[in-house]
Amino acid sequence: MSVYLSADFASVEPATKAVRDLKSHGFGLDDLAVYSDEPILFPRGVLDRPRHMSLTAVFGAITLMLVATGFIYFTQHNYPLITGGMPIFSFWATGIITYEFTMFGAILSTFACFLWESGLIRKRDSAPLPRIRPERIHLRVRCNPDQTDAANQLMLRAGASEITRL
Amino acid sequence: MDTAERQHRWGMAIDLDRCTGCQACVVACHAENNLPVSDPKSAAKGRTVHWIRVDRYYDGVFPDVREKHMPVLCQQCDDAPCEPVCPVYATYENEEGLNVQVYNRCVGTRYCANNCPYQVRFFNFFAPEWPEPLALQLNPDVSIRMGGVMEKCTFCIQRIKRTKNDAKDENRAVADGEIQPACAQSCPAEAMVFGDLNDPESKVSRMAGSGRSSRLLEELGTKPKVFYLQRGK
Amino acid sequence: MVAATEVIIPYHEVRDDLWRPLGPASGRYWVALILAFLVSAWGLGCWGYQIYAGIGVAGINRPVSWGFYLVNFVFWIGISHAGTLISAILRLTDAGWRKPVTRVAEAITVFALMIGGMFPLIHLGRVWVFYWLIPYPNSRLLWPNFRSPLVWDLTAIVTYLTGSMIYLYLPLIPDVAQLAQETTGWRKRLYSALAMGWTGSDREWHSLEFAMKLMAGLILAVAVSVHTVVSWDFSMSLAPTWHSTIFGPYFVTGAIFSGIAALLLVMVVVRRALHLEKYLLKKHFNNLGKLLLLLSVAWLYFTAAENLTIWYGNDPKEMQVFGARTRGGYAPFFWFMVFCNFVVPFVLLGIRRLRTINNTAIAAACVLVGMWLERFLIIVPTLATPRLAASWGHYAPTWVEISISCATFSGMIFMYLVFSKLFPIISVWEFEPHPLEDE
Repeated sequence: MSVYLSADFASVEPATKAVRDLKSHGFGLDDLAVYSDEPILFPRGVLDRPRHMSLTAVFGAITLMLVATGFIYFTQHNYPLITGGMPIFSFWATGIITYEFTMFGAILSTFACFLWESGLIRKRDSAPLPRIRPERIHLRVRCNPDQTDAANQLMLRAGASEITRL
Repeated sequence: MDTAERQHRWGMAIDLDRCTGCQACVVACHAENNLPVSDPKSAAKGRTVHWIRVDRYYDGVFPDVREKHMPVLCQQCDDAPCEPVCPVYATYENEEGLNVQVYNRCVGTRYCANNCPYQVRFFNFFAPEWPEPLALQLNPDVSIRMGGVMEKCTFCIQRIKRTKNDAKDENRAVADGEIQPACAQSCPAEAMVFGDLNDPESKVSRMAGSGRSSRLLEELGTKPKVFYLQRGK
Repeated sequence: MVAATEVIIPYHEVRDDLWRPLGPASGRYWVALILAFLVSAWGLGCWGYQIYAGIGVAGINRPVSWGFYLVNFVFWIGISHAGTLISAILRLTDAGWRKPVTRVAEAITVFALMIGGMFPLIHLGRVWVFYWLIPYPNSRLLWPNFRSPLVWDLTAIVTYLTGSMIYLYLPLIPDVAQLAQETTGWRKRLYSALAMGWTGSDREWHSLEFAMKLMAGLILAVAVSVHTVVSWDFSMSLAPTWHSTIFGPYFVTGAIFSGIAALLLVMVVVRRALHLEKYLLKKHFNNLGKLLLLLSVAWLYFTAAENLTIWYGNDPKEMQVFGARTRGGYAPFFWFMVFCNFVVPFVLLGIRRLRTINNTAIAAACVLVGMWLERFLIIVPTLATPRLAASWGHYAPTWVEISISCATFSGMIFMYLVFSKLFPIISVWEFEPHPLEDE
């Protein structure tokens, strides 16, 4: 039965120290979550979540680029009509649409990746959420009942102003 | 090569030195192709439809004025600039070199009209009307266009088709001069000649190859298939 | 790091100020909303009339087949650029002063695109079969002509509209999540639905920020291509003076130019109407005013390059159009356009003492008029003077076209009024200076 603790910090330095201490004490990244009403910039290596957005965007772009080129090639040859002496399929003319579709693919995959990676469309667990107060950083820790005191101590020593049990 | 199987390539030659500017071709085209009738108000607004029109050019100063008449119709270009810009393929080149306009496919963007350097494309801004009794003399071989659709000279494709079908039924090739669009048929000066440019013996091919022959706005590279013959320019 | 000279507004005050416009509407708001709605409805009615009676109720004819509708199309797509271009470019260059401006700009983009995107439908002769431009499998095996610039338009605008809507929506999520907590009733339902369960965790924030950074770059790439493609409607044509290689960059520059002008005008109105004097500071108008001046000079450069090339080349057909534009019937419009686009901004924005907020608004309004005229002068004189002189014509708009053109402005106002009533026009979470940042 997990216990959730929420620690309240006034600025990012004590929060960083707390995260580092908790990690060295054996807490994993999945046990930690930081809540705030604006983005907090932690130093590198402290709270890095796995990120695949760039790769997804590139992948989405290439996919739609190939789809667009293939689609245009197929449809123009399916019912070829001579217009103005122009070739039925040429990269010059279709390049514009291919480019737009490439960008479209990148845009859609970026958005889809955002929705997935942020967890907005993933099934949510029933873990309790701290009430976010403006200009504060809330660090939520999931710990086993026997780890509660240790986590408490670490966070207080790091500089938390208040620790509540959710 | 069996003449019955040769691919046709329709073209026209117009002898400007014979043209008197009588505009019988214009009237004949109206009658043959069910062109909508305009009124003075529409004409003032630039909404008339004349698949063939006679442009008049004046040269010189009075009293040494020379008037040149030039019947301008769709030039049926080989590299037609109007064709690639249509988003729905409502205009394209068929196997016989005709620039065909598909009325029921036209969405009405009018890009083709902008791109035609000869301004031979006409848009139906309203549904065409024929005041009585003109509606009784419509040609049943030619479809009536609706409002919002582009139209232009077709080299009287209905006559081409009819003659080709007749020739096929009779198991012979189409003879030179057998097909005459309404304009060529009605010209009293016999200034307009229509025929198969693929046939080197046809009258139109010989006229097209004459020293007096040139094409309109040739420098644009549209490769029109209407040849104008005139002594000098 | 907050600059020493910046006044830090306490957070609760920021929220109150930025959320106050979302409260009950004032009488003036309703009057404006109803007026805008009526004019827009009238415009839509005119369009309906045009579909019923035929497109001949507009002023287009032979040879001028494209008139006000295409002018409006290019104009509104142009305006859509600054929104995203500013927030994208300024986001990428990390210009801190941009923060209060981004949502205003992004909203302009989306609405301008929606309005501009209607004109390819409005100007169609048979609008009920417009869907033939969309590739879909059908029994006749017919596909649209992908070689046509109009199909390129369709693709570009759909891509840009989707991208802009996503780009407007992403930074909105944290704001509506906050609003969902503080409101009740239908608003709470609306905001909760849009917030998609945003909790404010670090995973969500980092994902959002990275997505916004990526989108900024992508939107920039798309925005440049969209107006280039729109300009290629003209430059792919053989019409005299249209067949110019400069149209791509010329139109993109003009688009950013008119977009910044629209943004400035909207900012002035929003600032006064929503009492945001503490947030939209003089420095914002100063910076955007300087940007407008820079683009005015860039516009002049492109216009001069284009016209000098035509004049020097002395091609007879092109000189006919050039003469009509600079000396003939269209000359008053041409020189008025130069006055609006260059002289007024140069004086009002170039002279520092004159660069006040009100003068910036005046310059922006003049630029909008000038840019509209510029689109008109690109489209109509060329079509009115085709290569064969026997086909020359002229163009005069009818009440239908004028109504629809006015309705586009009122439509923009209407959508903006609704938007600013539902969502904070300045992004609360972005506006907060970041004392929590590790620096």
